[in-house]
Amino acid sequence: MSRESILNAIKKNKPELEILPEIDLEVFHEDIDLIETFISNVNFVGGSTVQLDNLENLDEEIIKRYPNAKHIVSCSNKSQLATISISKETEPHSLESIDLAIIAAQFGIAENGAVWISENDFIVRVLPFITNDLVLILSKKDICLHMHEAYNIISKRDKTFGLFLSGPSKTADIEQCLVIGAQGAVSLTVFLI
Amino acid sequence: MSHAKEAELFNNDEAKVNWHDQALWFVRNKRDKAANTVKGWEALRNLASAIKSNVLSNLDNYLIQFEENAQKNGIHIHWAADAKAHNKIVHDILLKNNAKKVVKSKSMLTEECHLNPYLEARGIEVIDTDLGERIVQLAKEPPSHIVLPAIHKTKEEVDVLFQKHLGTIPSNGDPQYLTNEARKHLRDKFLKADAALTGVNFAVAETGGFVVCTNEGNADMGIHLAKVHIASMGIEKIIPQEKHLGIFLRLLARSATGQPITTYSSHFNKPSLGKEMHIIIVDNGRTEQLGREHFRSSLNCIRCGACMNTCPIYRRSGGHSYKATIPGPIGSILSPGMDLKKHSSLPFASTLCGSCSDVCPVKINIHEQLYQWRQIITKDIKQPTVKATTLKMAGRVLANSKLYGFLGKSARFMLKHLPKFIINSKLNTWGKARDLPKVEHDNFEDWYKKRKS
Repeated sequence: MSRESILNAIKKNKPELEILPEIDLEVFHEDIDLIETFISNVNFVGGSTVQLDNLENLDEEIIKRYPNAKHIVSCSNKSQLATISISKETEPHSLESIDLAIIAAQFGIAENGAVWISENDFIVRVLPFITNDLVLILSKKDICLHMHEAYNIISKRDKTFGLFLSGPSKTADIEQCLVIGAQGAVSLTVFLI
Repeated sequence: MSHAKEAELFNNDEAKVNWHDQALWFVRNKRDKAANTVKGWEALRNLASAIKSNVLSNLDNYLIQFEENAQKNGIHIHWAADAKAHNKIVHDILLKNNAKKVVKSKSMLTEECHLNPYLEARGIEVIDTDLGERIVQLAKEPPSHIVLPAIHKTKEEVDVLFQKHLGTIPSNGDPQYLTNEARKHLRDKFLKADAALTGVNFAVAETGGFVVCTNEGNADMGIHLAKVHIASMGIEKIIPQEKHLGIFLRLLARSATGQPITTYSSHFNKPSLGKEMHIIIVDNGRTEQLGREHFRSSLNCIRCGACMNTCPIYRRSGGHSYKATIPGPIGSILSPGMDLKKHSSLPFASTLCGSCSDVCPVKINIHEQLYQWRQIITKDIKQPTVKATTLKMAGRVLANSKLYGFLGKSARFMLKHLPKFIINSKLNTWGKARDLPKVEHDNFEDWYKKRKS
């Protein structure tokens, strides 16, 4: 009943059809160093970055930064640090005390320091939020300029759940003082390979 | 009570008003900095505005397309003509799932529908999980800003509030400590929740998916732990295609807080295996606003709050003075459409300086609409006698150049020669908190004539 009444009211009250504009990406193009811009934006949003030449030292470098992590989930075959394995059947509440989650990001975006990760990359939807600390592994060659390119890249994905993630969780709700670590992960480190 | 009277109450604490003013101006400056780093910022605003205009002109078809695609992906779609219908749908879903504990992330729509008291009266625990919203919920107050809900509270006030409700120790309002305690408190609520309620930032007709943006991660913590997710959206949240998100997400956070993007921009297309996902599409007066030619573009709003941060009136009167779900300039053109009489003083809470329109990411002509509402309100609603008489007199004076010249001269004479206690007396509201400017002997006309000769 509501449905028909709403749709009829819209039909009656809407203005004449306005054309949907074309997006000219030329306007947004910039010749900038993608890696440098990405790194500076990750820092700006409260995250940190580590550049590595190859995968060999990855686990060592992760441990260096998170020496106290005991309950570790790794969703990437590039890291062997996992102490807990998860699957699609894992009950999300059981991840309550995860110290560190390691996830391979699909690509990064220079303009805002965000990465795209989807359900396939972290298996249990709650993982990147409920973990205390978060490590992302990203290949330096997988950084695009802006969000328009980003949406082009993900347009053909299997659409279930995914997100742009930029930095650790944060809030400034108490007198505008920025506090890193609100309800989601309290730190974020992006390892650039 | 009128906005002016409410603003007067807020102004009783001068130090707090000054802080509020400066804090929001600081956010406005961050917005400028962020906007200036984007190549093609104005092109983004133009595109956003044009896309939203297209949406309003084809809204029914986009909603039908959205419904069809969402249902294909296993999402349940509900339609609610008004707040009452919306609240009942939420309650029915909760009942069906035997859900007693609910966590909610920020949603201005559920504020508008007064969902919390409705559910609480039916024995359901509703916890607001955005830190700012949790603070005002504990204080039993409405949010005073749509992005910074507790901007009117000092850290010391939050300290006292948390001592009482969360059992924290006195910390002189240490934000780090208080935020961390809130994190622990909310974690417990997330883990025990039966259902998660959220708003919707953007819903995509082409895919039937939707996006929820937060900085705290509170929406996702709720959604992915509870077995039921209910997302409430106004009909105007639709955008045609997923690629359009590229435009809106570039604009939203930069306009709101000066961040390049929110920490989490979560894209929901399908529920998790074994879980339920519901979307409630709500009208509640929006189709009426759609029919008002001069005001329909107010529906383009993406709720960034930039117009509040920049508004000289909002910054010095506080969000609560508007007595409306959405305060500030955008609220002052939305609210009269909901209840003209109740909100009739809001379009006057503006200097018409136009700063709101300048920063609006979707280019709503806010200050012009404020002016338009004034035209309607002065015709339909009785204005205070003093204001009505003064303006009538002003009209006569301005229409008569001799009278205008004479009164101008008298005013200059009086400002020069009368003692301050008379000039700044109660009758002159302009003299309440400021000295009047020093007066020159001549007016512009006299000066110009002398200069010529």
